Amino acid sequence: MTSIHRLSMLNILRRPLRSIVTATGVAVAIAALFSLWSFQRGYQAGLNSELEKLGAHLLLVPKGCPYDAASIALHGASWPCYLDQSYLKTAKSTKHVSAAAPVFMNAVYTPDTGAQNVYCGVDEEILKIKRTWKLDGQFPNKENGLLIGSELAKDRSWKIGQTVRMPGLEGTSGTVSGIIQPTQGPDDLFCYLRLADAQRIFKRPNKLTHILVRLDPPEQLDAVLSDLRGCGAGLEMNIVPLSHLFRTIQNLVESTRLLLGSIALIALFAAGAGVANTFMMAVSERQKEIGILRATGASRSHIFNMMIRETMALCLGGGIAGIVLAIASSGIVETWLRSKLPFAPHDSLIRPEYAVALGCILGAAILGCVSGLLPAWRASNTSPVNAIRSSGVTI
Amino acid sequence: MSSTKLISANNLVKHYHRGTETIRAVDGISFEVDHGEFISIVGPSGAGKTTLLQLIGAMDTPTSGSLKISDRETARMNDRELTLLRQQSIGFVFQSFGLIPTLTVEENIALPATFSGKKVGPVVKGLLERVGLGHRRTHRPNELSGGEMQRVAIARSLVHSPPLLLADEPTGNLDSTTSEKILELLQDLRRDGLTVIIVTHNQALAARADRTITIVDGKIVA
Repeated sequence: MTSIHRLSMLNILRRPLRSIVTATGVAVAIAALFSLWSFQRGYQAGLNSELEKLGAHLLLVPKGCPYDAASIALHGASWPCYLDQSYLKTAKSTKHVSAAAPVFMNAVYTPDTGAQNVYCGVDEEILKIKRTWKLDGQFPNKENGLLIGSELAKDRSWKIGQTVRMPGLEGTSGTVSGIIQPTQGPDDLFCYLRLADAQRIFKRPNKLTHILVRLDPPEQLDAVLSDLRGCGAGLEMNIVPLSHLFRTIQNLVESTRLLLGSIALIALFAAGAGVANTFMMAVSERQKEIGILRATGASRSHIFNMMIRETMALCLGGGIAGIVLAIASSGIVETWLRSKLPFAPHDSLIRPEYAVALGCILGAAILGCVSGLLPAWRASNTSPVNAIRSSGVTI
Repeated sequence: MSSTKLISANNLVKHYHRGTETIRAVDGISFEVDHGEFISIVGPSGAGKTTLLQLIGAMDTPTSGSLKISDRETARMNDRELTLLRQQSIGFVFQSFGLIPTLTVEENIALPATFSGKKVGPVVKGLLERVGLGHRRTHRPNELSGGEMQRVAIARSLVHSPPLLLADEPTGNLDSTTSEKILELLQDLRRDGLTVIIVTHNQALAARADRTITIVDGKIVA
C-alpha cells in the first residue's frame, strides 16, 4: 500500500531537473553554513592548541606589532629587531614567574630548494616551558649540539649522534644530540641549538628575539604584567599575554566570521525562498491532482503532511549534499582562508565534526519545514471540487 | 428517524458569485435515490449537473436546502466530516480518469486506503481481477489504454466498499466499444447492490439507467 511518504518522494522525482536545481540552492547554503561553523570550531580549537603547545603565558618581544611578533614566535621566521639579553634577568626575578626561557630565532633559506630552515637558540629553561615535549636523546650540552624536530629529522634522515651540515648555513655543522618526538606543531620542523651557538652563528651576541614566560599560578597574570611593565626593561619590550593576544586575534577574525555568517544566512533565506517558490508552482500545477486526492478521502492534514514531507525531503537531500560538498572543498577553502587571515594556527582551520553535520542537517530540516509552510497550507486548502472543475486535463 | 433512501435532497440550492453576478447553479432541486438504483443525470452544458454531483459527492456544501446521504445531513458538516463521509461512503469516477501518474495500477487502486488507514491488499487483488487488469498490476497509467485507465479508476472507487458510486462523464474520453465495456461494468456493479449515479451527455448511456434526471438551468425538468 502506498504511504503519504512514498507519495511525497515520488512527487519530488516527478520533475527531477527542477528538484535538483532547487536542492542545489539548499546545498550551497548548507555548504556555506557547514564550512563557516567548522571554521569557527577549528579556528578556536587551533588557537587553544597553539597556546597549549607553546606552554608560555607571556611572550616578551621587541617593541613593534605584538601580532607580528607572536606569529613569528609561533611559526618561525627571521626577526627584524632584538631584545637585550639582560632583560632575561628582570623577567626571571619577577614574582610569580616560574620559568623564563630566552630564545634567539632566525630563519634561513636553502637557495637550491627554497625551503625555510628555522633555528632557535635556547637553554634548558625551555624544557620548563615546553612541558609536553618528549625527547629521544638529550638536550644539547656541548658546543654545536642540535635538538631536532621530529619532522625535520625524518625528512633529512638524521639520527642521534650524527654530525650534520646545518641547512642554509654554509660551512656550519652540528651534532644531533636529541630529537623531539612529534608535537603536531611547528616545533616538529624547527632545529634547536644552544643559545650561545645561535648568537654566535647569527652574529648577535647577547641578543634575544623573544622570551617565553610561564607563571605560577597563571591567575597572577595581571600582577606580573604590572610588575614587568613598571620596570625599566618594560619600556623597551612588548609584554604580550598570549591568552589576551589569542582572544584579540579571535576578535579580529570575528568580523570576517560575521561577514561570512551573514552571507550564509542570506544564502539560507534565498534557498528557502527558492524552495517555497518551487513548491508553490508545484501546487498550482497539481491543483486537479490534489483535488482528486481530496475526493478519494485525503483530509487537509494528509495534503499538508504530504507537501511538508516533500519540502523537507528536498531540503534534507540538499543539506546532505551540501555537507559532502563542504567536506570535499574544505582543502580549497582552508587554503583561501589561510591566505586572508592575519594569523592562522598550525592545526587544521576547518574541522568537520559530527555535531556540526548534525546541526546542519537539523537546519536543513527546519528550512524545509518553514519554506514548505505556505505551499502546504495552500495545497491543503485545495477543494476536492477541483477534481472535477478543471476537466480536460488528462492525468 | 432513519429512512431507506440513500440520498434525499430537499429544495437544494447552490449559488456562486462571479463578480457582482450570482450564478444559481443548482436552484431548488428535490429528489430521492434508493439503495441499488442506477441513475443518470443529463442536461445541457452549464445546466448544473456537475455542481449537483459535487454536492452529492460531499465535495461541497449547499447554499441552502437539505441533502442527506445515508441519513447524514451534509449541509451542516464541516470539512473533516465531509472528508470522512467521502472516505467511507462515496466512490468517484472522473471523465479524465484521475489516476496518479507516479503510482502503479495497484497503488492507484489502493489510494483511498492510504488516507483511511485500512488494509486492502486482498480487496485490491480481487478488484484487479474483476476489472480484468491482473496482468497490469505493476504498470503505470501512461502504459495503459483509455479503457484500462477508466477500469482502474472504477476499481479505485470501489476499494473502500462504498454504497454510492458517482461518475462524471465516465465514457467521455473513450471510444464507443470501450464505453460499452465500461457501461457493462457499471451495470454489473449495480446488480451487486451498488448505487450508481452518472452525469453524462451520452444519450445511449443515459437510457441504460433505471431513471434519468434532466436538469436545465439548475432545475429538474424531467
